[in-house]
Amino acid sequence: MIGLDVGSTTAKIATIENGEVKYRITSTHNWKELVKGIGNDEIISTGYFRHSVPHRATVTEITAAIYGVRHYFSDVDVIVDIGGQDTKVIDVRRNNFIINDKCSAGTGAFLEFVANYFKIELNELGRLHLKAERVPDINNTCGVFAISEMISQLVAGYSKEEVVAGMHYAFARRISFMVPQAETVVLIGGTVKNEGLVAALREILGKNILIPGEPQIINALGALKSYI
Amino acid sequence: MSKIGITALVPPELIFACGGEPFDVNNVVPASRKYPKNKLCAWTAIWKEMLIKKEIAVDSLIVVAGGDCHNALVDGQNVAMSGLPTHFFFYPFDGDPEYLESQLYRLSGFLGDIQFPEKPGEIMELKKLGQMIDMKRSCGKISPAEAFSILISFSDLRGDMDGFRKAIASIKESDFELDSRVALIGVPPIYYDFHEVAQSLGLQVVFDELPYEFIRHGGTDIKEIARDYCNYTFARPLSLRINFLREELEKRKVDGVIHYTQFACHHMLEDELIREGLDYPMLTLQGDLPGNTPQQIKLRLEAFREMLERL
Repeated sequence: MIGLDVGSTTAKIATIENGEVKYRITSTHNWKELVKGIGNDEIISTGYFRHSVPHRATVTEITAAIYGVRHYFSDVDVIVDIGGQDTKVIDVRRNNFIINDKCSAGTGAFLEFVANYFKIELNELGRLHLKAERVPDINNTCGVFAISEMISQLVAGYSKEEVVAGMHYAFARRISFMVPQAETVVLIGGTVKNEGLVAALREILGKNILIPGEPQIINALGALKSYI
Repeated sequence: MSKIGITALVPPELIFACGGEPFDVNNVVPASRKYPKNKLCAWTAIWKEMLIKKEIAVDSLIVVAGGDCHNALVDGQNVAMSGLPTHFFFYPFDGDPEYLESQLYRLSGFLGDIQFPEKPGEIMELKKLGQMIDMKRSCGKISPAEAFSILISFSDLRGDMDGFRKAIASIKESDFELDSRVALIGVPPIYYDFHEVAQSLGLQVVFDELPYEFIRHGGTDIKEIARDYCNYTFARPLSLRINFLREELEKRKVDGVIHYTQFACHHMLEDELIREGLDYPMLTLQGDLPGNTPQQIKLRLEAFREMLERL
C-alpha cells in the first residue's frame, strides 16, 4: 500500500518499509512515473488531483496532514501546510481548519513571483536570506503589490538578499494571521524547506516550531497512514 | 396584478393581501452568469444590475434596508435612481412591534392598501406545510436539496400561491441516510447545487437557517404580522439569534455547523461571535460569484465530513 499526494505543483509517493518511510517526489504532471507497477488497489490518494488519479481510497490533504504529522510528533496543536497554491492551517486540538486559497500572499506562488523577478531558482531564496544584513519593511498584504514594494526597496538601496529577507517576513506575517493560539506549530509542505522563510516564521509566530525531516511528503505519508 | 420585487424577507402576507405578486430578486442570482461592475456582495450587485437593465421584470421594488442586508441600502438606491418605483423597508433592531407595525402600514400604502384580507390566513396554512417539510427533511424523509428548494421559495411563494401549493404537494418522500447531520447557517450559499454537493460528499443539511425564518413567521392582519416578524432573527441582536440557533440545533441533533458567508457581507464579521456562541464543530465558507459549487468549497466540505467522522 502506498500514499500518493498529487498536488498543484508536485507529486509525492510514500510508503513504509520495515518501519522506515520511503518516498519519491516529481512534478505534478509526471505523477504516473511514481506509480509504475503499482496496482490501483494499493494507492491511497490525496492532494488536488486525489479524485483524478487511480486509487483505492481518497482522503483530503487536511486529514492526511494530521495522520502524517502524527507519525513524527504525537502531540500536535497546529499544523501549517504551505503549498504551492494555498496554505492550510489545521487546529488539531479544536478540530478546525482554514484554507487561504483566494490570495497568493502566504502561498508558495508568492515566493515564485519573487524568484522569477530575480531570475533565480526558488530553492536559492533561503540561502540569500541568510546573507542579509538588514531587513526592509514590506507591509503590503497583496502578493502583486508586495512585488512593487520590493522593487521600491531595491531602489532605496537594499540589496537583493535583504529584499528577499523582507519578503520572507511579509510572507510570515501573512501566515501568522491565520495561526490560532498554540504552543507547538508543525510546518509542512515543500515551501518550508526554505530556511529563510522558516527563520522568519519562528520569529513572527514566537511558538515552538517543529518541522519533519522531509516536510514535503507528509501528506502522502498521512494518506497511507489514514488507511492502514 | 403588480409584480413586486423584494430584496430580502418582506412579509409576503401583506404583498398578497394588497393584490401584489411578490418576486424575490435573489432567486435569479445563483443561476445567473453575471459579473457585475462596482460590486461588494454579488447577491445585491447582480440583482441591482439586472433590475437597472430591466432583465428582471418587476413593477416596483421593496428594499429591506434596515436589518439584515446593509449593501442593499445603497444598491437599492441605485435601482431607485434608475426610475423603478422603490420602497425602503426597515426592521426594528430592538424588536419593537409598534415600530414594525408602522413600517407595515407605510408598506401597505406603497402597495395600494389591503384588498384581499383573507390571503395572510391562507399563507399561514401554507407555512404549516413548510414546517412539515422541514420536519420530514430533518428526519431523512425528504432530500435536503428538495426541501431547500421549497423552503427558500417561501419568501415569495413563487408569486403564485396555487402553483406553490401544487409544488409542495408534488414533493416525493423516500428514505435518506443521515450520517453527518449539519446545519447551514448564515445567508444561503450563492451556488445553485450546494445542497446536492454537500449530500454527495456525505453531509446532510438538516437545517437551513434563513429559509426557516421564511416559514416560521406569519399573522392574519398587520398587528399580528408585526408582532411575529419583529422576531426575524437576522434583523435582531446577534445574541438573540445565537440563542435561537442553540435551541434549533439541539432539537435537530446536528453533528456540525456550516456557516456560509458572502464576500463583502457584514455577516462575515459575525463568524467569530457565532463560533464562540455555538458549541459545535464549525466550518466557515466564503463564496463570491454565483455558479456551481467550486472545487475549493468541495475540498472544505469533504475535509469537514472527514473531521466529523474522526470525532
